[in-house]
Amino acid sequence: MSRMARGLIVLAGFVAAVLVGGSPQVGAQGAWPTSDSYVNADKDAASWLLPARNYSGNRYLSETEITPANVGTLKKAWSANVDARGPLETSPIVWNGTMYVTSSHNDVYALDAKTGAVKWHFPYKPHVIAFSANRGVALSDGKVYEGTLDGHLIALDATSGKPVWNVVAAHDLTNTFYTMQPVVYKNMVLLGASNGDWGGIGYISAFDAATGKRLWDWNAIPGPGEAGHDSWSGDSWKRGGGAIWSGIAIDPATNTLYADTGNPQPDFLGTIRKGANLYTNAMVALDIGGAKPKLKWYRQFIPHDTHDWDPAMPPVLFTGSVNGASRSLVAAGDKGGNFWVLDAGTGALVYRLAVSTQKGQSTEPNRKGNIACPNTNGGVEFNGGSYMPETNAFYVPSVDQCGIWKSQGTATYVAGQFYLGGSFPALYGPSTGYVNAVDIGTGKFMWRKHLAFPQIGGALSMSAGLVFTGGVNGDFTAYDAKTGNVLWHYATGMTIQAPPGSYVLDGKRYVVVAAGPAGVNFADPRLKQGAPTLEGSYKHPTSATITAFTLP
Amino acid sequence: MRTIALGLAAVLILSGAAPARSPVDDHASALAALADVRAAVAEIVRIEDGYAVGHGAYLRAAHRAMNALVGRRDDGYVKSFGDPGDGVGTLGYLDLMLDKAGTSLWTPAVQGAKANVLAAAEDLQSALAQKEMEEYQADLTRALASLALVVGRPSQSGVLGGLSGALANTSLGVPLGALSASGCAAPAHAPAYGVVAGRLAYVALPRSAASAGIPDDLSVARVVVQGDTVVLYTHAARDAAALCRSAARLQRTRSVVAAPSKISYTVAQARAGAGVYRRYCLQCHGADLQGTAGPSVAGADFLATAQRNKWSLSDLRTTVFENMPFSNPGSLTPKQYADVMAFLLASNCYASGSKPFPQTASASLATVKLAQVARAKPANSKLGTCPAK
Repeated sequence: MSRMARGLIVLAGFVAAVLVGGSPQVGAQGAWPTSDSYVNADKDAASWLLPARNYSGNRYLSETEITPANVGTLKKAWSANVDARGPLETSPIVWNGTMYVTSSHNDVYALDAKTGAVKWHFPYKPHVIAFSANRGVALSDGKVYEGTLDGHLIALDATSGKPVWNVVAAHDLTNTFYTMQPVVYKNMVLLGASNGDWGGIGYISAFDAATGKRLWDWNAIPGPGEAGHDSWSGDSWKRGGGAIWSGIAIDPATNTLYADTGNPQPDFLGTIRKGANLYTNAMVALDIGGAKPKLKWYRQFIPHDTHDWDPAMPPVLFTGSVNGASRSLVAAGDKGGNFWVLDAGTGALVYRLAVSTQKGQSTEPNRKGNIACPNTNGGVEFNGGSYMPETNAFYVPSVDQCGIWKSQGTATYVAGQFYLGGSFPALYGPSTGYVNAVDIGTGKFMWRKHLAFPQIGGALSMSAGLVFTGGVNGDFTAYDAKTGNVLWHYATGMTIQAPPGSYVLDGKRYVVVAAGPAGVNFADPRLKQGAPTLEGSYKHPTSATITAFTLP
Repeated sequence: MRTIALGLAAVLILSGAAPARSPVDDHASALAALADVRAAVAEIVRIEDGYAVGHGAYLRAAHRAMNALVGRRDDGYVKSFGDPGDGVGTLGYLDLMLDKAGTSLWTPAVQGAKANVLAAAEDLQSALAQKEMEEYQADLTRALASLALVVGRPSQSGVLGGLSGALANTSLGVPLGALSASGCAAPAHAPAYGVVAGRLAYVALPRSAASAGIPDDLSVARVVVQGDTVVLYTHAARDAAALCRSAARLQRTRSVVAAPSKISYTVAQARAGAGVYRRYCLQCHGADLQGTAGPSVAGADFLATAQRNKWSLSDLRTTVFENMPFSNPGSLTPKQYADVMAFLLASNCYASGSKPFPQTASASLATVKLAQVARAKPANSKLGTCPAK
């Protein structure tokens, strides 16, 4: 069925083009954002053009309309239902009064950003390899780009939702799929592949934004003859992992791409891949100004990881004050519960702070099983956090869990199955979460809130002194950026594992967030039993919604 | 109407639907090779039908036909006479198609076409050396006969079908980027290309597109109109259908061999497993077992994936016992895991037996490959699942 659907989309695209006698129209000149719009995305109060608003990856907004004083009156403006067959992780893109969002099974929706009315809907039926998730689209030059669960990159006409082109973008369709939100930079669509627990090698690719033609791949695992190759014993590099799957940041001034690479494979068995296993569990800075990316520097967070503790948080570039000195920094967070701050120019470590409980981290999983924290879905997750210059603080949610880790003596590769050399750990003890405010000046906590449920929604900070984030139990909450006090909350009644966004329309500022059923990682049994929220109890949802809020 | 077909291909490429042109877009190469042959033939026919006087015009025609056939990279190419083709030449395109590892169903046809182009080029070379008009004409006639074989005919596959036959009856007829559907099933949508083991079984067009004309590079053996879709079955369709039947038969036989005594579970287990599934699995895999947050675990999509990836019953067991439920792996009892395995086997239409599904690992499970069960009658024919009873 899915193969059929793929063929059809390509064919449907060309027939549509033939029938209307030309390529689809894109509206008036200047109707779409340009390269400059992306570089200056922070200055455009009305729009939300990139996954985390700007190339820096900093989900921060200079904003004075919604303040700690009036946020308590924030009300739902509208909500829109989308396909509910999985969790919503979409980061909405907003341009010119239209919002573009995705569902877990790759349906794409264009919504009226004022009313939530559906302008067009692109349905898709991908074969699902392991789990369904999608973090959203990229918008450029009248096209909407989406990476799919069956390894395609699709360009839709942004006005009509009709396919313009559809290419097979992943190299190994048995083990590889896309969940990452593509990023448009210059003429390129940048997209990393999810294959890091299925026997693949991680890579990020650039595609020509006009045609979908592949321009380059950058492999996270060095092959024979390349620097770093000797950090793998034997042939273990061939299924070494290092997926680049969460999100990226770009410094346009130097054409530097910052990406985090995933865990090595087999996840829980280190004995057959002796060495540091470069460049897994690392941040890499790539010069993408030329025809092929060049590695400028790398910083490996957890060498030779045996716990699937990859740096899931997308990199955030910012200028912060450290011990009174202004510095160009880049932040990272990993599932091992570490929050990292590096020098953005060199990758040198500034400091590290544990934002989740850490225990038993130096023991490799064995046949008997040992307890280590965080659990495999713990620590800092894929929506990351944001830096606020006004407080010189970094706001990052985290998950607090422990697990019982076991490995086997061998790892067997089975096509389309996890390549683990063991099994994912069983949850040990409670499953909770934190919202953390890290003082960048000292590397210590400014404040942190311990919450009953894992926090994976990512943080949006606003200069007036607000931090928005959502929890697995569906609470969408605004915190006072200085104190951590809860200033406003709204119970979506669903699981929030998508990051908040914001935009201005007709002079009114909106805050938006997606919520839906829990994803496979966060299907907490408590949710089925009516988990407590700040406004009553959670009922397992049969719908998935995008909700926008505004001041009355 | 050939221009329509070429037009479609051109739109496909211009609109970016076929951006992955590397290494070689065989469909486009075949169309271009054919265009160059036709240009060469037109050149010869024009001079033979005309009333030109003197050697000059005849030599010029032979040179121009030669240029279209061999392309500018060949020694036989003489630029000053002009080129009615596109410069790459039929030979250039055919070499592009043949110069790679592995063979396709259309490879013999393309090899045959190349041999005939070389023969025609030989005759043209000979014509250029002739002084007498009669000898010259005899050479051109021989060249035309060879070129007719290069063009071939859409109703025939193999070497005798030439390029037209290969385009009309094999996967060569599918434009790059237009991913094809299995030709064993009737088209569910249009447009679609139905392909079976390299054979092009049908082209399904929306009625609106078909009414504008049927591309004549197709060999239409049978036209079926179903609703808004016009299905053009090729001459290869019958051959393809036979292949589909024998593949289905083989698969049935294989499953019968694979499925036996080693797979066993009891009805009681499957019933208990349905409860375990509802409580711990349904949230991600869905009430219809087709997957929501997680993947499908029963029916046509699941079994097709299992077969493609050669999953054994042991692989399935490992995933279930050790990595599920994904939010808390290993948290069920061995009995619950065995019961849910029984439920999954029942849902995939495996027959129950007297022996329960084991609660501990068993080496024999590794020898059982998951596959569609022979003569299974799924209660849900669309999803291919059976009720656990």
